[in-house]
Amino acid sequence: MSEETESQLDNVQDNEDDLITTEEKSVSYPLKVIYCPECSLPLEYCEFMPEAVLAKCREWREKNLDVLEQEGVEMSSLTLDEPSGDKKRQKRGGRGNLKAKQKKEPEVVRIAKIPRGKRKFMTRVQGLATFDVNLKKASKLFAQKFSCGSSVSAADEILIQGDVTDDLIILIVDTWNEIDEDHIEDLGEVKR
Amino acid sequence: MFRKFDESENISSTNQLKSSVQRQIRNTILEQMPSIEPYLGDLWHKKENAKVIKCHDHIEILTVGTEPLFFKQRDSPWYPTLKLLHKYPFILPKQQVDRGAIKFVLSGANIMCPGLTSPGADLNMETEVNKAVAVHAEGKINSLAIGLMKMSPQKISEVNKGIGIDTIHYLNDGLWHLKIVK
Ligand SMILES: [Zn+2]
Repeated sequence: MSEETESQLDNVQDNEDDLITTEEKSVSYPLKVIYCPECSLPLEYCEFMPEAVLAKCREWREKNLDVLEQEGVEMSSLTLDEPSGDKKRQKRGGRGNLKAKQKKEPEVVRIAKIPRGKRKFMTRVQGLATFDVNLKKASKLFAQKFSCGSSVSAADEILIQGDVTDDLIILIVDTWNEIDEDHIEDLGEVKR
Repeated sequence: MFRKFDESENISSTNQLKSSVQRQIRNTILEQMPSIEPYLGDLWHKKENAKVIKCHDHIEILTVGTEPLFFKQRDSPWYPTLKLLHKYPFILPKQQVDRGAIKFVLSGANIMCPGLTSPGADLNMETEVNKAVAVHAEGKINSLAIGLMKMSPQKISEVNKGIGIDTIHYLNDGLWHLKIVK
């Protein structure tokens, strides 16, 4: 293996906490990063702009959704109202409720298909943590098995790019002995 | 380094580089970032004019065409600019800060050890003191800063206080916004 391919692989491995796609593995350089025309930063950093700028970022993004989708931007990783770690939300007690709910109904894995744009879907998995599954590792596994992006998106939620519901159920049952098909609920198509 | 950087005030001169000097710089950069080797030719054609912009505080910025590619201060290593790093993220070893540290880094603060040891962070033990690193962040794909290791990773995890990485160049700083007019 030549030196440069080695370091490319290193880099992909280093990025394991982020969205992993197989495209990244066979990717050619230079990578194309889309910068927000309003704040100049990579789109994923708009959320750290002061509110006045952020409002413009949001506006631009809404107007250019099609373009962004065409460019293959993972919009799920770019939501400007990030639920995870958002202080405002925490103050309102949103996260507290979420946790309480999870405690009440343990031991169910819920899979939902979420529309993204007109013809595309994401698959949302909730409840894996109630089986003590390491979400980060699970997310990585999904990304590898389905050759697509996957990310831990909330306390006990993984989002996978594309509709992989059927294969996902099989994979989950095969991977974790403690989870049976009976534990999995397929919610079908659900709005976010 | 570029927190208060302003093109009209901080640049003292722009110099064309003699080809012998270009070769020297090229070799130094290859030594420091060997993995850029297959791409350096695309970035910096041998025939194309490389310039060095000399700035206050002994900062030098190497530009090819209208793009700032590398920079250094005094006898520091050559650092890639963030825009270059985003295109070739493997050229620097990576360190990851937790989400909470992002807003501080984006305001130019140095990176404190706890931001590198908390659960959201990912301390890369393979990096050395006084070497350049790409600063990534929890949940983000692109790096948000370029830093210089001030402590060894071992020491960072042991001591867990004080500055672990100096923030050299970050998203939205003066260098990020530097426009080169041909
Ligand atoms: Zn923006």
